[in-house]
Amino acid sequence: MRVTAETKAATRRSLLVASRKLFRQQGFEQTTTRDIARAADVAHGTLFNYFADKEAVLSAVVSDAVSAALAKFQESPPAKCSLEESLFSLVALQLRQLKTMRKLLPALVESLLSPLAGKSDEAAMSVRLSLLDAATQLAIRHGYGELSSMALQLLWTLFTGILIFWANDTSPKQEDTLALIDHSLAMFVGWLDDARNTSTGSKKKQRRR
Amino acid sequence: MPSVAELIKALPEVEAMEREEKFTVPSPLEQMSLRPIPVGRWRRLGMLGTLQAKIAAAYLFYWLRSWFSHATESERNLAETHWRTALRMLDSMSYLRGAAMKVGQMMANFPDVAPREFVDTLDRLHFDAPPMHWSLLREMVHNELGSDVEQLFASFDHDAFAAASLGQVHRATLTSGEDVAVKIQYPGVGRAINDDLRNLMLFLLPSRLTRDWEYVKAQFEDIRSRLEMECDYQQEAANQIHIRNLYRESDGVVVPRVIPRVSTSRVLTMEYIGGVHLDRYLQGNPSQQQRNVVAERLVRAWYRMIYAGRTLYIDFHPGNVLFLDDGRIGLLDFGMMIPLDAKLWHLMEVMDKPLTTGRREDRDAANRLWCELSDQEYIGERKAIMDRFADWSWRPRYCGGEFDFGDEADFREGVDLFAQMVKRRYSRAQPCTPLIARQQFGWRSILYRLKAKLDIRPIAEEEVAITGWDRSYT
Repeated sequence: MRVTAETKAATRRSLLVASRKLFRQQGFEQTTTRDIARAADVAHGTLFNYFADKEAVLSAVVSDAVSAALAKFQESPPAKCSLEESLFSLVALQLRQLKTMRKLLPALVESLLSPLAGKSDEAAMSVRLSLLDAATQLAIRHGYGELSSMALQLLWTLFTGILIFWANDTSPKQEDTLALIDHSLAMFVGWLDDARNTSTGSKKKQRRR
Repeated sequence: MPSVAELIKALPEVEAMEREEKFTVPSPLEQMSLRPIPVGRWRRLGMLGTLQAKIAAAYLFYWLRSWFSHATESERNLAETHWRTALRMLDSMSYLRGAAMKVGQMMANFPDVAPREFVDTLDRLHFDAPPMHWSLLREMVHNELGSDVEQLFASFDHDAFAAASLGQVHRATLTSGEDVAVKIQYPGVGRAINDDLRNLMLFLLPSRLTRDWEYVKAQFEDIRSRLEMECDYQQEAANQIHIRNLYRESDGVVVPRVIPRVSTSRVLTMEYIGGVHLDRYLQGNPSQQQRNVVAERLVRAWYRMIYAGRTLYIDFHPGNVLFLDDGRIGLLDFGMMIPLDAKLWHLMEVMDKPLTTGRREDRDAANRLWCELSDQEYIGERKAIMDRFADWSWRPRYCGGEFDFGDEADFREGVDLFAQMVKRRYSRAQPCTPLIARQQFGWRSILYRLKAKLDIRPIAEEEVAITGWDRSYT
């Protein structure tokens, strides 16, 4: 029997819905690929036609949420505000979208998203690229130009750090995470400003010579 | 007897202090700031003469660091100047029990006694909004109330119009059309400062063998309990509702109505009442009669809270009083209210006698009880100064007749006596007794700035009647 693109998409979707639910209910470690396949009503082997392993399933779940958040952000980007504020909105929106899977994030960050992670997959790459691309667009819009590879690395490190902190945040309503985002982004934009001022200064010096 | 101004003059010059760079920043202190802080300021902090000043300055620092984050170079320089001035003042006034904020709020009431620039500094502390940008604020509202600002409010000003306890205040309109003020706390700031205090306490451990240790510990507890109160907007809302219910329309006293539907422990939404602060009010050159009317309302409001509300309104300072166009006064900020428990209620009852008779022996009895509450003996110099301070505080009431609250010599006498009390640490006591003195001073200083001429005795008599005390001495 030929499997149509629609059927494939529907199966993938039901696998993701089932895994989201199971991860939330019993945690990432306790959930097996067999559990996911059973909950999605597909054969265990079929799951591997779509995902290489359990990490890949989680990666896809997170990637979907990140894409949804980005779409929302792009629908109504914050107007008339600083780069720091725009980045804050971008990150905060991601967290809102990822809220139900907050506790699962350390597993994903450690295995696929961390700057130190040994491996990555398509979905994890997509999360990283789409977020950094959105940040770059914001930086360009605010007159900072393209973000350097160092700036991108720094931003990504801060973002994954925020995710880990948030997953373990025991403060009321995780309010400390909001403060952490604020301070992290203030630091990041401060660093961009310094870099920009230094480069403007050295260009002026060169011109004088 | 040195005045506060003379005490300030006696301080070493800031430049001289800066030359003595003996202080190295210990790691707990480094953690005290959430944002990067130039080390130079910490050096200055370390050079302060007393432990109490460090505690006070740590608290003050919370506001100061918020100035720098979005400031221009010139604003930073200005803030630096203010900071130096404030620190010098703190150094001289740090023996005052309680946090820097309380010192500041009191000193800002003394324009003729404290240097103008210090009053300005503290005015900034009172009213300048710390920078919580719109995106963060929006997220904080969502986090607390579960919906976006746009769903909860018909409009919401992006810029804060005032600073609040550990946060900022924005104007907004409810979907019903009602104008409101929304107070929002910076996320986690209360716990962050609490942690700072804990770190500072560790840093101070080596001094535990000193004579002052118990006092330092008590002071930490004072700040900590104050923080707890200030951080809990739900408790503040409950206080505000209690106080609001004490006034009738004819009293001319407005306490904004709390809107519980859009309030939590970190967000407090209340009716917007408009009005201006004391400085602006006085700029409008109100007549003597107008000033007397508002002063009478303030005095009535204060007595009502004590006698009918059985509560001490500690934050009775200009930052929390609004003067409305129609002559009413508005009261704000009920974060720190001290309920009068049985012991303090008894003290109030005993105090009522000298307040009414003005007799020395009645004053002695009240002062003795005051000292007993903090295990202090009412003898010698302590007795002499406390008696003079009590007489100064209670004179306008027991004398009766029109009292000139704007009399500079009289007010200076009070300032000097109070400065002596705190310098000699006669105000050391269980937390509430110095607070009584503090709020007593608070309303006197507002009346001084209003230059009010008023007979407060009939107001007091009307208000005290509700207590049901046996007042056969009247």
